[in-house]
Amino acid sequence: MKPQRQGALMAAPAAAVLAGVAVVPVLAAAWLSLHRSIVIFHEQRFIGLANFRFLLQDARFWSALGHTAYFTAVAIAVELLLGLPVALLLHRGRGLLRAAVLLPWAIPTAVSARMWAWLFNADYGLLHRLAPGIDWLGSPSTALHAAILVDVWKTTPFVALILLAGLQTIPDDVYEAASIDGAGRARTFVSVTLPLLRPAILVALLFRSLDAFRVFDAIYVLTEGGPANATETLSIYAYKTLMRSGDFGYGSTLSVATFACVLVIGLVFVRVLGRPR
Amino acid sequence: MRALSVCLIAFASCSRTSRDAPATGQVTVVLKHQPLWGDAAPFHAFLDRFRRENPDVLLRTETLPNASDVAREMFLTALEGAADDFDVFAIDVVWAPEFARAGWLADLSASFPPARLRAEFLPHAVEAVTLDGRVYAVPWFLDVGLLFYRADLVRRAPKTYDELREVARAAMARNPRLAGFLWQGRQYEGLNCNVFEAIRGHGGELLRNGRIALDSPEARAALQWMRDAIVSGLSPRSVVSSGEEETRRAFQDGRAVFLRNWPYVWAEVQAPGSPVRGKVGFAPLPSVTGAPGPGTLGGWQLAVNAHSPPARRHAAERLVAFLTSHDAAVDLALHYSRIPARRAVYDDARIRQGAPFIAALLPIALAARPRPVTPYYALASDSIQGELSAAIAGLRSPAEALSRAQRIVDHLENPR
Repeated sequence: MKPQRQGALMAAPAAAVLAGVAVVPVLAAAWLSLHRSIVIFHEQRFIGLANFRFLLQDARFWSALGHTAYFTAVAIAVELLLGLPVALLLHRGRGLLRAAVLLPWAIPTAVSARMWAWLFNADYGLLHRLAPGIDWLGSPSTALHAAILVDVWKTTPFVALILLAGLQTIPDDVYEAASIDGAGRARTFVSVTLPLLRPAILVALLFRSLDAFRVFDAIYVLTEGGPANATETLSIYAYKTLMRSGDFGYGSTLSVATFACVLVIGLVFVRVLGRPR
Repeated sequence: MRALSVCLIAFASCSRTSRDAPATGQVTVVLKHQPLWGDAAPFHAFLDRFRRENPDVLLRTETLPNASDVAREMFLTALEGAADDFDVFAIDVVWAPEFARAGWLADLSASFPPARLRAEFLPHAVEAVTLDGRVYAVPWFLDVGLLFYRADLVRRAPKTYDELREVARAAMARNPRLAGFLWQGRQYEGLNCNVFEAIRGHGGELLRNGRIALDSPEARAALQWMRDAIVSGLSPRSVVSSGEEETRRAFQDGRAVFLRNWPYVWAEVQAPGSPVRGKVGFAPLPSVTGAPGPGTLGGWQLAVNAHSPPARRHAAERLVAFLTSHDAAVDLALHYSRIPARRAVYDDARIRQGAPFIAALLPIALAARPRPVTPYYALASDSIQGELSAAIAGLRSPAEALSRAQRIVDHLENPR
């Protein structure tokens, strides 16, 4: 009994901090989401689930959800496809190469997004020179893809880093065994590397999807959600409703909806990760 | 995104606060304002004069981030929490009705009677700080949308939209690398300013019976003209994603005939090394009829915190009076190129000599019109931006975008 009590005692501060900075704010937001709360009019009254009923028929919410899901899915797929070869390269390379690859990830997002905004600029942007027909940030159909491009540029190194860590845990003797068994390079990759890399891939997927689903800074700097709300994600919609309009009730509803989505994604991944193979 | 870089700089050069303890009998007054560009010394010298003239007041200043959105968030949370650790603060012109309605601004009508303000200040600047006949802030300095043109390419500024199009077309025919007319079409507050100018230039109004009215024939014509400008090539496609700085740079590089922007552009294009130095003129915006088109009114006002205790409030009102005085406006114009809100300053010999650009702005400043003066504007502004952006980007017709925007505004003003 002693060790358990000692364990509980030592975990208590961490649990208290977690409750204070995560659980309480989440519950407070959930409580606020049941109110009509408009700061400037001092309106604060309980309206039950009316905000959520409005949410279900709010076209702007559904389109924001669509943009967020599309952004998350496409960005992560591309990052994994690019990150894996980069990780394989880094596995052989050393020092300087690794540092160079990490550079985009080390630059603060607001700064790199500003830089990309100039690259996309329809008057002088380099990308505009290379492909003059495309108005990257000005057209509703390309703006979200421009944001995905920026995210891929920035976070592929991060994905590669996680995969690299996974690669380094694969012992050399399995490769030796594979080569003794006569497996070629492709066969070794498919039958040895990929299966053993699965936990690292899942961790990368988990981190990235939770992160991408809450994307805010890159898009905010690039387009502020425009044109015509075509790049508005859930976080940006919630931010605008909360802080620009001062509608704390519906803004909290949007935050709770975002939280619920992220929670579901997290639970699915944790379940998949925890499953014994 | 000028705002963001500005805010980064503002954070880096954060507040310079003197935390001296007040002497006996002294009352502490805290002034929160965004940094003024350039050398801080003249402004501090000016504040020191207030300190000398008011030995009973201990004045402390705190600097805000210069990004309007960020400053607004700070005030929203601080004032909602009934903060009383600051007394006088600078607010953006569109916040005045909203903050007043929320009860966060002290009613200043006793010390600054509306009739006197209207006599001394530019009328529309006073309109923007008045709600239901009461004064809640005093105009500090202005901003106003205006038209810059290349004086070496066009003989005189166009008065009508048709004239602007023809003159720009002629210049573009001579030099195909030129863009005709640059403005700000990115989805942000600046887009609303541009569209409101076009609506007024087409003879429309933005308020009907005190409520925001967007779905009018004039508004449809205005949005159609803006969209047509892009489709016909008068304005480059890049305006759809452009803010102030993108368009200012393109114009300054000599790549455009006309630019709609704010007065700060003047100092930039006339700076040594600017490719268009000495080749730029400015004028009121065009309109359908040829009468000077009203530019959107921007700028900052000084308000007193409603939660300040009475002793501090009295000192705070003295500070507001000092900072919005004739001499203060002259100082701000000479040292910081801030556009005066007081009518008489434009005729002051010091301004005519030292800042002729500002003296020449008078007709434009007089014609400037605020965004809809209603507490609902800030609430509705963001939704309006999205719909206007849809029309500018060609995603929806002007009629459809405006009727959608109107539905959202009606829902906010009159929730069922």
